[in-house]
Amino acid sequence: MKPTMQKVRNIGISAHIDSGKTTLTERFLYLTKKIHRIHEVRGKDGVGATMDSMELEKERGITIASAATYCQWKDHEINIIDTPGHVDFTIEVERALRVLDGAILVLCSVGGVQSQSITVDQQMKRYKVPCVAFINKCDRSGADPFRVIDQLKEKLNHNAVAVQIPIGLEADLSGIVDLIAMKAVYFDGEFGDIIRTEDIPESLMELAMEKREELVDAASIFSDELTEAVIEEAEIPESLLIEAIRTGTIQQKLTPVVMGSAYKNKGIQLVLDAANHFLPSPMDVENEALNLDKNEEPLPLSGKKEDPLVALAFKLEDGQFGQLTYIRVYQGELKKGDTCINVRTGKKIKVGRIVMMHADQMEEVEKIEAGYIGALFGVDCVSGDTFTSSGLNVSMTSMHIPDPVISLAIKAKNNASETSMAKALNRFTKEDPTFNTFISKETGETIISGMGELHLEVYIERMKREYKAEIITGEPSVSYRETITAVTPFDYTHKKQTGGAGQYGRIAGIMEPVADEDFVFENKITGGSIPTQYIPACEKGFKSCIAKGPWMEYPVTGVKITINDGAAHSVDSSEMAFQAAARGAFLQAYYKAKPVLHEPIMKVVIESPAEFQGNVMGSLNQRRGIIIGSHDFGQITTIEAQVPLSEMFGYSTTLRSMTQGKAQFTMEFSTYKQVPKSVLETLEKKNEKKTRTGT
Amino acid sequence: MLKKQLILKDPLSFLGYETEETEKKGSFGAVTSRAGVGKTAFLVQIAISSLLKDKNVLHVSIQDPVDKVNLWYQELFLNLTRDHDVKQSKQLWESLLTKRFIMTFETESFDFSKLISRIDEFSTQKIFIPQLIILDGLTVENSMQPELNILKEYAKKNNLTVWFSIRTHRHQADDPVTLLKQFDTDDSQSLFNMIIQLMPYKDKIQVKRLSIDGQVDGQPPLLIDPSTMMIKETTEK
Repeated sequence: MKPTMQKVRNIGISAHIDSGKTTLTERFLYLTKKIHRIHEVRGKDGVGATMDSMELEKERGITIASAATYCQWKDHEINIIDTPGHVDFTIEVERALRVLDGAILVLCSVGGVQSQSITVDQQMKRYKVPCVAFINKCDRSGADPFRVIDQLKEKLNHNAVAVQIPIGLEADLSGIVDLIAMKAVYFDGEFGDIIRTEDIPESLMELAMEKREELVDAASIFSDELTEAVIEEAEIPESLLIEAIRTGTIQQKLTPVVMGSAYKNKGIQLVLDAANHFLPSPMDVENEALNLDKNEEPLPLSGKKEDPLVALAFKLEDGQFGQLTYIRVYQGELKKGDTCINVRTGKKIKVGRIVMMHADQMEEVEKIEAGYIGALFGVDCVSGDTFTSSGLNVSMTSMHIPDPVISLAIKAKNNASETSMAKALNRFTKEDPTFNTFISKETGETIISGMGELHLEVYIERMKREYKAEIITGEPSVSYRETITAVTPFDYTHKKQTGGAGQYGRIAGIMEPVADEDFVFENKITGGSIPTQYIPACEKGFKSCIAKGPWMEYPVTGVKITINDGAAHSVDSSEMAFQAAARGAFLQAYYKAKPVLHEPIMKVVIESPAEFQGNVMGSLNQRRGIIIGSHDFGQITTIEAQVPLSEMFGYSTTLRSMTQGKAQFTMEFSTYKQVPKSVLETLEKKNEKKTRTGT
Repeated sequence: MLKKQLILKDPLSFLGYETEETEKKGSFGAVTSRAGVGKTAFLVQIAISSLLKDKNVLHVSIQDPVDKVNLWYQELFLNLTRDHDVKQSKQLWESLLTKRFIMTFETESFDFSKLISRIDEFSTQKIFIPQLIILDGLTVENSMQPELNILKEYAKKNNLTVWFSIRTHRHQADDPVTLLKQFDTDDSQSLFNMIIQLMPYKDKIQVKRLSIDGQVDGQPPLLIDPSTMMIKETTEK
């Protein structure tokens, strides 16, 4: 029998790279009997973890695209999205969080709150996703879950409270003390699937009592009944404590912390229990759509299956079974054979096959009800599209999509590859909004752009493997931007008389720098010196100049144009004439406004054994990096720096060889900064050469 | 121009300290107060003043993460330059960043020998050669006397000034000098030669320069506005 909505959990698993997300998911699937054997991420059997279904993922030991799966634990149905850990792929994490009701934040008991845990946590806060923290790898040398709890409080500002304590640590980890039931739990059998419950060992009793008191204290804020029980010193029923923790978690005011070791199969059943107990069901979460008829006013969704349909396509995949669209239904139900509307295109869509996914295997179903996640076949859409019943004009909130920071020219080796490449690019751009492609007007080359070197590398590799396209790649290039630094007036007249009707338009005003905006246009014309009907043409003319700057041909940002005077001719003035006048005015003012070039600066965080930190810092200095600081954890040091993206190409190889492969780094876009003079000269020379040779 | 104007707001010169005192080889300074009064904010202002004078500052923080320390600098610099041109301030801030290094430690992973070996490593590799060290968040205990003396010698040898935040407890709040005197091995020479005391005063924070014998050192006390943590240039009697 299908569980009721209260017993459905849509959860994500988010964390820093190598914290053990995929390993944890693999255990979930095994324990919920979705798979019958455990394959390790980098296991000797060469099969790879079940959730890493893409061949490339298996090879690199990283999760690239998130696969959705569902499983049943006790009487609850859990939909899990396995999310990628590398920052280059965070759009996947963001999408997953957009459609999920709760998350399990996986932390390493040695590494603690690492750089990407902070990024992921910010994303969770942005989408108001409550979470349970799982401190993994308690079997590792140097494990200290209580230090990680302190970090959760200090670094992430979570009201974190342990609901368990470990029995032994590092190599001695033998079980978990459940502070709610006040019992010791041991995990026997090859894969820890036989649970043995015993009394808490004497040696741990005092600590268990102390931590339980902290737990009850933290939870009592969310339940008057519990507070009363504490004051009256009455026995506290388990259900009462669970309910109080659940309330705090759903309100995002409490983060229950569970612990164990996924690799050693210790504590995993209790993580699933925690998801059932503490994370919200779709009924507990208020979702809103944007009412497109009422200027995008927020519209609360009922979550009832009887109401009209509202569903969001959050992921597309073009795999062995054709195009698959992952979908979350927020309201109503999506039935096989029904018709719904794609709000973005206004087109009607006939719902064909509906499936529930388990990594790359699937189960065909008749319908998806509100609150559930499933997938559709053969639907033409892009990710982020909303589907509704006819007559309902709403859209789910648009997702935060960062601008690409790096681009690369690619070319197919032969005609067959060209077709495959086009197909692949079409699919990838549909699947991933941070991955763009266009054809350069100057060189005719296909340019791909994305969020980092690895991001682009993975897509090129996928084109080769999945589409058998032979690709030649150029040098990656950085998305520079031009901007101005001085206020400059302009006064330009466009006059042309070549027989017949002439062209006439005069525009005067000011060009000035503006912060945090790409382009601002202000009309301060009084007395009709430029007739109102030509104002939009003026704006259009200026706007056409910012796509490609006159100086270095990079996009121009941070420019404000104010027009305050001009002139028109009753016969010779036209929209075209004013557009041309605006272009002339822009060119006239641009060089006087002292243009400068800006480059993307990345926040780079490196985790390295302390003995290599001098070398690592030296390498960052060589790359024009500004070292913000270092944090010493004892054996491990985290170094934080700001480095221009143009200097980071190939850094992973350098870092690996410098630290015997023991250091790792993450990188994400931080800001744009002015390019220093010495670098600018090199770029100018390069640009001149490019213009001369036309390549 | 902006830099010169900001240098005039140096909190140490407001308190009457001369450059010879603050930049003396191996100088140790202490900012003392009870928890939560504003030691970090005051130390960061000392650091910003030094950065403006083109000195390299190593900010060592025990417990606080790098981002949090960085935020202190950003906020206080913003408050300092609030009335000035935004673009100029931004450029100046960028230039200061290259002279500052934040090094943070977990309480249990900190020790003086580790700190000294890190500074040596950075200096040898020419990654960062500090001229001022801010040591914030360390619980200075009597047992640390030998290490403090080693650091003092190191500071003398390497032409460094070190400022500490010293947390006082309720019973010591009025007498930080006695607390600091316990670290002196030599009666004729104090370990700490600059002592500043912060105390809540009405709705503000009072800043007093103390002499090594515990007296208020000539200069009238300054006041800090708790909303900005900036020194108010006028003093209240």
